[in-house]
Amino acid sequence: MQVTFKDVTLSYDGKREILKHLNFVIQEGTLVCLLGPSGGGKSTTLNLISGLLAPTAGHIFFGDKDVTKEDALARKVGMVFQNYALYPHLSVQKNIEFPLKMAGLSRGDRAKKAKELAALVHVDDQLDKKPGELSGGQQQRVAIARALAKEPSILLLDEPLSNLDARLRIEMREEIRRIQRETGVTTVFVTHDQDEAMHISDKIMVLHDGHIQQYSTPTTLYADPENLFVAQFIGEPVINSVPASALSHDLAGVVPADILSQAQTAGIRPEALTLPQRALNPLTTLHGKVVEFDQFGRESTAKLDYNNLQLISTEMGQLSHDTKELDFTLEKKGFFLFDANGKRIFGGDDHAE
Amino acid sequence: MKKVASVLRYLILTLGAIIMILPFFWMLSTSLKTQPETIQLPPVWIPKSLQWGNYVEAFKAAPFGRYFVNSVIVTVVTTIGQLFTSILAAFAFSKLRFWGRNLLFMIFLGTMMIPGEMLIIPNFVTLSNMHLVNTYGALILPWLASFFTVFTLRQTFNSVSDQTYYAAKIDGASDWKFLWHILVPMSKSTITAVTVLQVIGSWNSFMWPLIVTNDENMRTLPVGLQAFTTDAGTNFALLMAASTFVIIPMVVVYIFLQKYIIAGISNSGLKG
Ligand SMILES: Nc1ncnc2c1ncn2[C@@H]1O[C@H](COP(=O)(O)OP(=O)(O)O)[C@@H](O)[C@H]1O
Ligand SMILES: [Mg+2]
Repeated sequence: MQVTFKDVTLSYDGKREILKHLNFVIQEGTLVCLLGPSGGGKSTTLNLISGLLAPTAGHIFFGDKDVTKEDALARKVGMVFQNYALYPHLSVQKNIEFPLKMAGLSRGDRAKKAKELAALVHVDDQLDKKPGELSGGQQQRVAIARALAKEPSILLLDEPLSNLDARLRIEMREEIRRIQRETGVTTVFVTHDQDEAMHISDKIMVLHDGHIQQYSTPTTLYADPENLFVAQFIGEPVINSVPASALSHDLAGVVPADILSQAQTAGIRPEALTLPQRALNPLTTLHGKVVEFDQFGRESTAKLDYNNLQLISTEMGQLSHDTKELDFTLEKKGFFLFDANGKRIFGGDDHAE
Repeated sequence: MKKVASVLRYLILTLGAIIMILPFFWMLSTSLKTQPETIQLPPVWIPKSLQWGNYVEAFKAAPFGRYFVNSVIVTVVTTIGQLFTSILAAFAFSKLRFWGRNLLFMIFLGTMMIPGEMLIIPNFVTLSNMHLVNTYGALILPWLASFFTVFTLRQTFNSVSDQTYYAAKIDGASDWKFLWHILVPMSKSTITAVTVLQVIGSWNSFMWPLIVTNDENMRTLPVGLQAFTTDAGTNFALLMAASTFVIIPMVVVYIFLQKYIIAGISNSGLKG
């Protein structure tokens, strides 16, 4: 189901607005991540979609239908919670059947559907166990099966992986992607982990400070951040951000003077700093010192000192270990300038301007 | 050293057990004595010949059949009614958001500090104005709500996360269905515990039935035991025989549900 927010504002206490005039469309059949730091309003947005929360102002549409006044049941959403929220006194099968029981399906139909879903999420050998007897990953699978049981118009997941250990997290996020593809259900996934979001989403909505900072595909988000917040939030290692004035001498003539005069902060992705012989689309050449150089397997990190500013590069793999000073290239791709409001004014997708 | 400690521990526990059991033993022993043996000094622990006839005589001394029926009716209705109202109230205090919820809860909590004896007279006056004295209404009505039970259940309901509540909502459960399909089954052990405590409390209650009934037909078992105390003194052998058959149903209940009672009491953080 396509979900549309029109000018949605939410305030819990009538004073502080947690979400301010949100406008977006989630396309039918896609997986969208709500990404942002804790307290950014992700869960609040999800609860607005689910109908557990009503907006203070604005309208919510499912398809063409205005569902602003409808509750969670009428909207037919499925939801998976961070702590799974399984019913501990019911078996796995009864847990999956619960929404069907509430919908008044016969015992036989319920059992059949529950078994199908258990097979989809790979817990069909655990049907008679109680949730307490399952591992975290298995409980998560059951929670997903339960959410899918009533064939929801939309599947909502609120930080579903944060209670799992690192390895299982990666396995489960692939699973969620597989299940979403197999069922084709429109899915909204909340996370504060940018790596998770980058790997599973069709589109990512970055939420911070009650506003959508950017809503685009993972690739665009990384390559064309619209503002400093997004540039800093996305990417590992974190983008180098330095005062634009420190670079102004080296950038003069390369960046138009009127843009340079407005620029407040420069953002440089760690892979945009390379050795001159490996440069692809150089913007300019900088000179600096090597502070530290670490190489592990195929990955390397170099800490460089440029005009007393520290820059991290991941592209210095061929650097010899005794190098103290060097010339290095600033690539065009991965270099951005932001104005005093944090808005991008240079770099990335130039057509966006 | 360890051994001494463990011997000491068992000694204390054994002593405790004896102290707990002694009154019951004394009741059973007295119920099988002859009249003179009951007041003989030094006390007789084991009667010379067991007077089983005391039980027959005690049962005939008053309409115990009728008392038994009354006790069962009062206990069953009180317990079910109180459980029902308490479950609803505890659910509201635990999971519903409404204006004045915390204030209301505080006020109710305050009522727990009023000693029960202080309520006897106002309750009696209210019920006699309602012309309910000498009816089941008087025996049952005041006990249909208990804040102690509400409080205990609320503690247990609070341990069920709000996410579980929202999950059930999304799964299509109304508040009513969530309560009976999810919350109550999840709180089974506490509910069993408060039920048993209430059954025992109702069954044994003496003061209130004594005050609101003077019609023979409306008396309950504990009040009926008064039949053995007359101006001429108390017939201890018969009184103890009757006491024995009055408490036997409760002993049976306790033995079968002991596990839940202990679990329930230790869950709620209220040590009896
Ligand atoms: N039920 C609530 N009542 C009042 N404030 C809330 C409530 N839930 C969340 N908030 C506030 O709203 C803001 C956004 O919260 P939330 O949507 O949970 O963020 P996120 O999920 O991104 O961490 C936070 O400042 C939080 O304190
Ligand atoms: Mg959250």
